Amino acid sequence: MNKHLAISSLLTLFLVNHASAVEVPEAAQSCVVCHGAQGQGTSQGPKLAGLTSLYMNAQIEHFISGERKNVVMTLMAESLVDLNVRQQALAYYAEQGTAPELQKRGDTLVQSGAEKLYYQGDPHRSLPACYSCHGPSAVGGGPFPRLAGQQSSYLKDQLVAWQKKQRSGDPDNTMGHIASKLKDSEIQALADYLSAIQ
Amino acid sequence: MPINKAWLFLLLAASGFARAEVPMADMQDEIPAQPKAANLDYFKPRELSEIPKGAFGDKIRKGYQLFVNSQQLSGQYVGNQLNCTNCHLDAGSKAYAAPMWAAYLAYPEFRKKNNRISNFAERVQGCFNFSMNGKAPAIDSPELVAISAYSYWLLMGGLLDAFGMQDQPVPEMSDKALQEGGNVASFKLPGPLTDKVKLDARGHMPGRAFAALDKPAQAPSPARGAKVYEQHCALCHGSEGQGRVMADVPVIPALWGAQSYNWGAGMHRVNTAATFIFENMPLGKAVQLTPQQAWDVAAYMNSRERPQDPRFTKDVATTAKTFHADDNGYYGKELDGSVLGSQAFPATRVK
Repeated sequence: MNKHLAISSLLTLFLVNHASAVEVPEAAQSCVVCHGAQGQGTSQGPKLAGLTSLYMNAQIEHFISGERKNVVMTLMAESLVDLNVRQQALAYYAEQGTAPELQKRGDTLVQSGAEKLYYQGDPHRSLPACYSCHGPSAVGGGPFPRLAGQQSSYLKDQLVAWQKKQRSGDPDNTMGHIASKLKDSEIQALADYLSAIQ
Repeated sequence: MPINKAWLFLLLAASGFARAEVPMADMQDEIPAQPKAANLDYFKPRELSEIPKGAFGDKIRKGYQLFVNSQQLSGQYVGNQLNCTNCHLDAGSKAYAAPMWAAYLAYPEFRKKNNRISNFAERVQGCFNFSMNGKAPAIDSPELVAISAYSYWLLMGGLLDAFGMQDQPVPEMSDKALQEGGNVASFKLPGPLTDKVKLDARGHMPGRAFAALDKPAQAPSPARGAKVYEQHCALCHGSEGQGRVMADVPVIPALWGAQSYNWGAGMHRVNTAATFIFENMPLGKAVQLTPQQAWDVAAYMNSRERPQDPRFTKDVATTAKTFHADDNGYYGKELDGSVLGSQAFPATRVK
C-alpha cells in the first residue's frame, strides 16, 4: 500500500504543478498521469472520456482477475479497492469528452472499408455490424465501450489482444470470436476509422 | 454451375412439402420452421452500392433505410423501440433469420382455413401492427412500397447473380406489382427458373423463416430460462429485457415490456423464439446455446408481460380462446400466480 500512497503523492504533486486549472476530483487523480486530466488519453494510456462507469468498472475487475493484462494497470486496479472512491473516479471520467455527431445506421448506403464493416458488417462471414452493439457513431453504452475518438494504436492492440486470447471477460467470448474473424488490414482500418470519429 | 443446380433442385424439390395449415385470425401466422439446408452459399443479395440510380432505386434505398432505422417512424407507425433488422438480421438478408428475399417470393400466400390471400405488403402491415406495436401505413403508402421494393431487390439481385447475370439490373416493377410479392404467375423468375418453379414451391425457398430446432428433452421451463438469460443474454438486452438505448438511439432490442413486440406478434410464440435464438444468438456468435437452453430462455422471455394483443376482445380469456388457442405461447396462461396478458402494457402506442 505504501507504494500506492507514494504514487498518489507524486501524482498530486504533478497535478498541483502542472494541471491546477483542472478540477479533477481527488478520487480520480491517480489516473491522470496516464489517462489525462479530462480522460483524453496520453501516450501512456487510452482515452477514458465518455466510457461508461459500468464498462470501466468491469475492466478494473478484469485487470484484477487477470482477464486483461497490463502490469501497471493491474497494480492501479488493485489500489482501487474502495468502491466508493472507485465509483467517484469512474463517474468523473464518464462525464468527460463531447458526444460525436451521430451517424445512424442507414444514413449512408454507399460505404466501403471500415465504415461499411461498422454499419453493415459482413454477412458472408457472419460478422455482425459493429453498430449492433457499439451504437451510432460508436458512442457505446452500458457494457459496450465508446470507440469513437479512441486512440488508434490502443484499438488495434485490443483487437489483436482479443484475437490472441490475451484479453477476455465478455460473456460467451463474443468479442473474441468476432475479432478472430478480422483480417490484419481490417483491424488497422477499423482502428483508424474509429479513432477519427469526433 | 454446381451451386446453381443445387439451388434449382432445392427449390423444385420443395414443391412437394406440405403446406402450412394454421388458424389465422392474424397475419402473423406461423410458418413451419424448415429443415436447415446444408449449403446456403447459393444465394447472396447484392451490395447496397449496386442499387440503381433513379426513382426506382430511391424506393429501394428508402426501404433499406426504414428497415435498419425503423425508429424514424416512431410515433407515426412504430410504437416501440424496435427496428425491422432486430429480427430480420443483417438488414433482412440473413438466412433463417426471416430473410426478406425468401419472404418476398412466398407472397401472396393463400390460406385454406379462411380462404384468404395476403399479399406481401399486407404481411408487412402485420409486422407494424404486432411486432412494432404500432399502426400500419396504408398499403399504397411510400413506406410499404419502399419496404416491398427493398425486399424484391434483395431477392431479384441475388437470383440474377446466382445465374451469372451480374451485369443485369434488377427489373423495375410498378408499385402495385411490388406490393403483391413474388408468388404470382406474372412474377417471372430469371434464368433457368423461368416458367419452371411451381407457384406452391415459392414459399419454400431454402433459408426462409427459421431453421427447425429439435424438440427439447424436457418441457420448456421459464425458471431454468431465467438462469440462461442471466448468464447469456442480460448483459446486452438488460436484466429486465429492456434492451439498450445509446445517445437516445435504440440499439439493442427490448425483449419484453412496454418497448417490445406485443402479444399478437409471431415472436411471442415460444417455438418461434426458440428457433430464432438457437440459430442466431448471441449476435456474432450464433449457435451458442444447447437446444434445451434455447427453448428454456424463449419460455422465460415470452412469459413476461408485453404490450396487449391489439385484437383484444372483451377479456384475456376470450382473447386467448379466439386468437391463441393453438399457439405455443403464454398468453392467457397462468404462471407464478398471474395470468399472462392481464397486466399487459398498452397496445398500439401510436394514434
